[in-house]
Order: sequence, then C-alpha cells, then structure tokens
Amino acid sequence: MGLILQMKTTAIVLLVTMIGCSGGAQDDPLFATRRARLLDVVSREQEKSPYVIASKIHKGVEIDRAFILLDSLTYDKGIGGMFYAYSLIGTYLYTQDALPDSLKQKVRLAYQNRMMYRGDTENHWVMYYTGLYLAAQTWPNEPGETWFNGKSSEENLREAAGWLNEWFRISSTIGQGEFDSPTYFITFVTPMIALYEFAADPVMKAKAQLMLDLLFVDFAAEHLEGNYGGAHSRDYPEDIINPLGAPSTMWAWLYFGEPRFEQWEETRFRPRNRGGWEAVFGALSSYRLPAIIRSIATDRSEPYVHTETKRVRNVIRFGKEKNPPAYKYTYVTKDYVLGSLHGGILQPIQQHTWDVTLASRKPYNTIFTLHPYYSGKELGMFFPEELKFLSDEVDRYHLVYTNPGKWNSSSPYEQTFQHRNTLLILYKIEKGVMQPHIDGFFPKNLDERFVHSKGWVFCRLRDTYVGLYFIKPGEWTEEPVNWRWRSPALKNGVIVEVGSESEDESFQSFQNKVLSAKIDLKGFDKETSIRYVNRHGMEMRFSFDGPRILNGKQINLTDYQFFDGPFVQSVRGSGIITIRYKNQTRVLDFNKATIQESH
Amino acid sequence: MFFSIAEAQETIVMSVLNSRKHRLNVSDNPVVGVFASTNAGSTWEHRGWKEYIRTFYTEADERGVLWSACGNGVLRSADGGARWVITTGWEMTEVLKVAVDPSNSSIVYAATAYGIFKTMDDGKTWQEKHIGLPMPFTSDVVVDRSDGKRVFAATEEGVLFSNDAGESWKVAGLKKFGVRTIAQDPSNAARLWAGTQDDGIFRTTDGGVTWKSVNNGLRHKTVYTIAVHPNNSAIVYLGTHGGGVYRTNNGAKKWEQCASGLGNPDIHSLLVLKTNPNIVFAGTLNGGLFRSTDSGKTWQFNSQDEGQVWGLSSR
Repeated sequence: MGLILQMKTTAIVLLVTMIGCSGGAQDDPLFATRRARLLDVVSREQEKSPYVIASKIHKGVEIDRAFILLDSLTYDKGIGGMFYAYSLIGTYLYTQDALPDSLKQKVRLAYQNRMMYRGDTENHWVMYYTGLYLAAQTWPNEPGETWFNGKSSEENLREAAGWLNEWFRISSTIGQGEFDSPTYFITFVTPMIALYEFAADPVMKAKAQLMLDLLFVDFAAEHLEGNYGGAHSRDYPEDIINPLGAPSTMWAWLYFGEPRFEQWEETRFRPRNRGGWEAVFGALSSYRLPAIIRSIATDRSEPYVHTETKRVRNVIRFGKEKNPPAYKYTYVTKDYVLGSLHGGILQPIQQHTWDVTLASRKPYNTIFTLHPYYSGKELGMFFPEELKFLSDEVDRYHLVYTNPGKWNSSSPYEQTFQHRNTLLILYKIEKGVMQPHIDGFFPKNLDERFVHSKGWVFCRLRDTYVGLYFIKPGEWTEEPVNWRWRSPALKNGVIVEVGSESEDESFQSFQNKVLSAKIDLKGFDKETSIRYVNRHGMEMRFSFDGPRILNGKQINLTDYQFFDGPFVQSVRGSGIITIRYKNQTRVLDFNKATIQESH
Repeated sequence: MFFSIAEAQETIVMSVLNSRKHRLNVSDNPVVGVFASTNAGSTWEHRGWKEYIRTFYTEADERGVLWSACGNGVLRSADGGARWVITTGWEMTEVLKVAVDPSNSSIVYAATAYGIFKTMDDGKTWQEKHIGLPMPFTSDVVVDRSDGKRVFAATEEGVLFSNDAGESWKVAGLKKFGVRTIAQDPSNAARLWAGTQDDGIFRTTDGGVTWKSVNNGLRHKTVYTIAVHPNNSAIVYLGTHGGGVYRTNNGAKKWEQCASGLGNPDIHSLLVLKTNPNIVFAGTLNGGLFRSTDSGKTWQFNSQDEGQVWGLSSR
C-alpha cells in the first residue's frame, strides 16, 4: 500500500531503466570475464561473509556450506548494526530463490528482531536506510510489533524512502559530505547496487541508478590506473599511503578494468584489503557501468583540470553553516594525479588534503604533507558528545587520531593554492597547538629521492618527477616503508611541482626548469605569504587567509561549480550532472529522475 | 520479568552511552543501553535492546512510560522497558535529552544536535521548534515545573528560554557561554542552575531573567551535570570534568570537592534519591557508576565498570 501511494504521488518521467539496459550499457568486453572471475574467487572463500555466501549460492559452489554460513549469521550476535543490516538483506535478495523456507524465515527474524544502530554519519545512514527500505519492501504489511523499531513495514518503507530521497537531493546538488573517499566508497556504492537491483518502486530504482552513475563518474574523473586520485574527505591512513590497497580499487578493477592486476592476489594488499568482497554485489547486479564513464576513467591521452565543490560533513556547532563548501582542484595526466582541497577543517579525523598519486604498480605510490592536528573542539563540530573526552573516544575506533605521526588529518592551519601541476601549501600553526609540526610522506621505493643544494627535494618514480621546496627546514627520519620529513616550524610552506617525461622530457630537464622558477619569500615571515613563478612562467601569489592570485587575477573559489572539467559539468544546486566524452553526452537529471543520452 | 515503573517507590533509570567493553557493530552489548534499579542501586537490570544505539538519557513520565534520548531518535516504552518503539523519523537524530512536561505527559521535548523538537501527542508526531534558536545544537531542555509553557534549553550560545511552550525562543542569559546542562530547584521553581563548558556554574533566582556566576571554591570549571537536593535548596551537587563531584551546603556560597572514593574524575550524570537524599549517584565517563550513602562525603563503585553513564533519572 505504501509503495502504491508513493508511486501515485510521484510524478516523474521514467526513462532511466530503459536507458540503463540499452545504449548506455557497458561495452567493455572483459567486464563479463572479471565479473565471473570475482565470483569464482569469492565463492571458494570460507569466511562468514554475506558476499561469500552470495557468491557460493550464485555459483552453486558448496551450497550446503553457504546455507550453514547464512544460518550462523542469523544468530551470531557478534555482529550487528548498519554494516550487517544492508549486506544481510542484500544477500538474502540475491539468493532467496535458492534458500529453503526455514532459512528465509530465520533471516527475516534476524533482521526484524535486532535493534539496528542507525549511526551518526552519511555512510552509516545510507547503509541503514537502504537496508531498511529493502527489508520493509521484502516483508510488507507487517505491524510494528514484528519490527525492531516498533514501526510497521509501511512506516519503515516511508521513513527509509524519505531519508534516501533527501540524500539523493543533497548529493546531486551540493555533494556528499563524505566525498571521494577510497575507503568509504564501498559503503555508498554497495548499498546503491542493492537498491538498484531490488527496489520494486521504479522511481527508487531510477534514483539508485542515477546515484550509481554519479558515484562512478565522480570516481572516474579522478581515477588513474586503479587509484582514487586527488584529495579525499575521509580516508584510512593505510589507504592514504598505499592507494591501490584501498577498497575502491576493487570496484575500479571490476568496472573500469584497472588496475590490470587482481588486488587480492597481491600479498602487499592483503593486510589492508579488508576482505569485504563488497564488489560481489556489483558482479551479481544487472547494473552496467555506462561506457562513457569507463572511457572517462581510462582515457588519459590528454592532461586536464577537474574542479569540484563538495560540502563539509554536517556541522552541528561552532560554525555558522551546516554544510560549508569544500573546494577541490585536481590535475590528471597519464602519469600522475595532483589534487588538493582548499584547506581547513572540512572533515574530522580522516581528511586527506592533498597528494600526488603516481601511476605505478609499486605500493606506496604517493607523496604528500600534512599538519597532524587534533582537538576536542574539532570533533565537537561534528559529534555531540563532550569536547573534553571526544579525542580519547575517537581514538578507540580510529586508533591514530591523537598520534603525532598520523597520516590523515584536517587542520585549520593548512591552506592550498593549486594551478595545474603546481601546488602551494601554507601552514600557519598557532602556538600552543597540540602536535606543532608538519610531516611529509616519501615512499622508500621511489627510484630517486635527493635534496638539491638549492633546497628542492627531487623525486622520481619511473618517468614521473616531483619537486618539493620546503620554506622552513626539517629533518628526515627513516620508517619501514617511507621517509618522514618533519619540520617544527609553525609557519611553513611547501611548493610542489610535478612533471613527467611527456611534459618535461628528462628528469634533469625537469630539475633545471624547476630550479629556474622564482621563489619570493619576502612576505613570508610577516604575513605567511609567497610569490612564486613556476616553471611554466605562471605567477602565483598566495597568503594564508588571503587571496589566491594567478597572473595578477584573483581566483575566487566560489566560482567553482559542483563539477567542472572536460568530462563532468554541473552547476551547484541544479541537480543536473552532464557527463561528456568526445561526442557522447549523458545527462543525469535528479530532479526528474531521468537520464538522457546523445551521441 | 519486567515490572511496572509506576508501581515502584523510586525507580532509578541509568543510560549507559558507551563502554570500554562495548564492541562496535555487535548486536549483543549488555553493557550499554538502559538499566533500572528499584532498590537504590543494590541491583540493576538491563532493559530492552542490547545493541549500541547511543543511549544518552532516559526518564519515566508520571504514567511510568519511559522516554529515551538516543542516537537513533526518541524511543518510548510503555511496559517498563521490555519493548520499545522509535517514535521519531529520519529527521531527528542525535537526541541528547528528553524532558516530559510535568503537567501533561503527552508533551515531550527533545534536545538534539540538530535543534529542539516537541511532541504533543505522546510521540506520534514531532515538530521542530527552531524559531529564535541562534544555533541548532542543544544539549539539554528543562520544562518549568510550575508552568509548562516555560521551557529552558542549554546551547553553545547560552541559556534559551521559551514562554510559549517552545514556539519561539530567546536568549535568557549567559550568551557568551557554552551551556551544557540546566537544573531546576525542586523546591523553588524560580531558582535554576546552569553548568557550562569552561566557566563553571551559574544560578538564577528570578526564573532566568538574571544569572550570576557562583564559582567560589569550584576549581574545575567544566560542569556537565547538576543535582539539587529534593527538599533542601541549599544543597547542590555538581559533576565536573576532571574534578569529580562538588557539593555546596549553603546555596553556592562555597563549593567543596567531595571525590573521596570516586574512581573516575569525569562526571556526566548525578542523581539524589528523593526517597533518601543521603544516597547520591554519580555517573562517570568511562568509569561506570558510583554511589554515596553519606551525601557525597565518600563514594563506592556501584556498577558498569568502564561504562559511560551519560544519564541518570528517577521516579
């Protein structure tokens, strides 16, 4: 009844499902091979994972074993919450035709009887409400007494649809708060796959498809050979220093066909590939990545600039806006991605403000700096508990929050100014701040790394070159996989130049060009300002809390659109995302829940 | 077997937000959630769900209906905690406190990270009450015992006051202070106390018109909870961060630290039993619940070791 009501009251043109199965479908001939390969590998795993169960049943491998695993999931009180909820109902729906009635009943009771933690952040809510939506749809017309939250099936369906629709609206107009996250990507794309696959309401199914297209094109525009390049709202430190170990890489492999190796076969990724196998839902799904998005993800024939305006996660106090803008700038080439957020606290705990990610099969293929800030007030902006104990509390789950050597952090004392493959980072750390230093990450497996007599640090990995100039001195220490550069100077700055053989010919030529660049630091000690003329002759002026000026013209970050670049364009607030590749166009219209394609 | 709260003389309800023993993403966490005691804390019984949903505060109305402020919203139980219904929708999350109108149990206010909400129909529907709120974040809400139209709220920008049952709000005072908690004197409705993030304790004796800092002897200025003696306005307890419990016997002329036996100095909840005011409970952050049987002079560990006892109430 709830479904019918919802459909009647939603006047939306539905072109989506037809398009999704026709001209927009993935034309990657190897997709079917990868899909089959993934299911084959996972079906032979033995862990008590919903994805292993789904794979076994789908492949007909150890069916009895799969039933035992699923049965044990239904009474295992050692797991629960939103991560459990959506994956359980998704697995149930993928396998229900093969399940015995008794097991179906157990799954139903397990879902309905457990109080599910809704969570406190975007990815939690996506998982919780997608799971609740599908469960309420699967077991309709049941009174509140049968559900953990006391609400009837129809009430649950309505509430879940309400939240999901609001999330679609926000994500398509001002962006996700947990945007561009190699770690958390799976917590958005996996529920959306399940929603697309099983939502009976065609409007909801259409919106799930729109959201999948948006998630994937958002990734594709900053993708390089399996890496989620550029800056990230949230990321685990393991994934920051070893980008190809991130969960998003599995999805890049499945849908983009890159990296050209199987992540799970590489022992170097095993400790960090959390074995979630979430991509199984993608392999089982009828969702097909539009060919245009795969082309955007893999065609690196021309370098390009891609900018975005996303949003800060919900600010609940100590700020005037609930979701201030977060400005992103990314420069993508076939050899590297250099990307940055404009700086400041845009996310608590796990922000990754800038890096250069190098195309390589080697692990630890990245270089970046950060100020490892923490404070109770920062956490208090986003969490409602008491300021004076939040730091310790967060350390329980994100074990490095107060660690002075951590590799992820937002900081109010860090700002950036990027133009193509040149990046300026300024640090202005207040006295008395905990952890008053900045750190730099340099992998030990670079082919070359040395400090030039003029102060530049030059690095080379294959045919990609990076030069960094630290305004104030620091010290190098050796760690297991990297060199750490640390400076205690409260006012500091870094100039970053990135190049490659295709742009600069040789490494020596790159060095010569960079060494000839003009660095003017006359205003640095007093005003934390810098004037820099890069190796291409572009003049960049930048002051902390001051304007960003390029060749005499001020850059207004507020001019950034939701998406802007050769492949993706969207006016912030419009709800319409235009995807372009050569003569193809795909327009995602979240207002009408439609997709239009032209060739 | 669950009992009816209404039948008990004084039932204490404890809300354990979290615990060092709690395991994330586990469905069986008997160390968090709602606990009740009918024998002054000699024994405790877990009530309802055992999943972690961030239980901040729970109180019973005069009918014995339990209202719980949780991360998942406002939960209601009409059978003493055996079965709960989430009364709120997706719009309400991070509910930090609930306050039942003493004159009408169908009216409940909720202080949340996203503003103040109110139900007038026993939780069937909720309305946001944001007119005049300078910022949405609200950590506490108190309904004036003498007049249900008068409501106070604790915010990062002072104490807010509504004289039209939450329809509109204005700053009542302490505008520059992060107010974390408010308590009304059980014996004198015009006397209220406000605990702040960094600036100690304030008192009003004119129903919120004027506020006065009364910090003499208070060395720890982060006050997360306040409890007033049920029959003697001169006796007040403060729960501080880092300094344990403070007590005054003289209406805040002088505060004295009374932390002997407190195993954790970070206090987030306090309760003085109405039926025996010598018995005082102090809920700590990560140290569990402590009980004093001598009006706070000495404390003994009571239960929930390593638990965050975020809220205490009784009826």
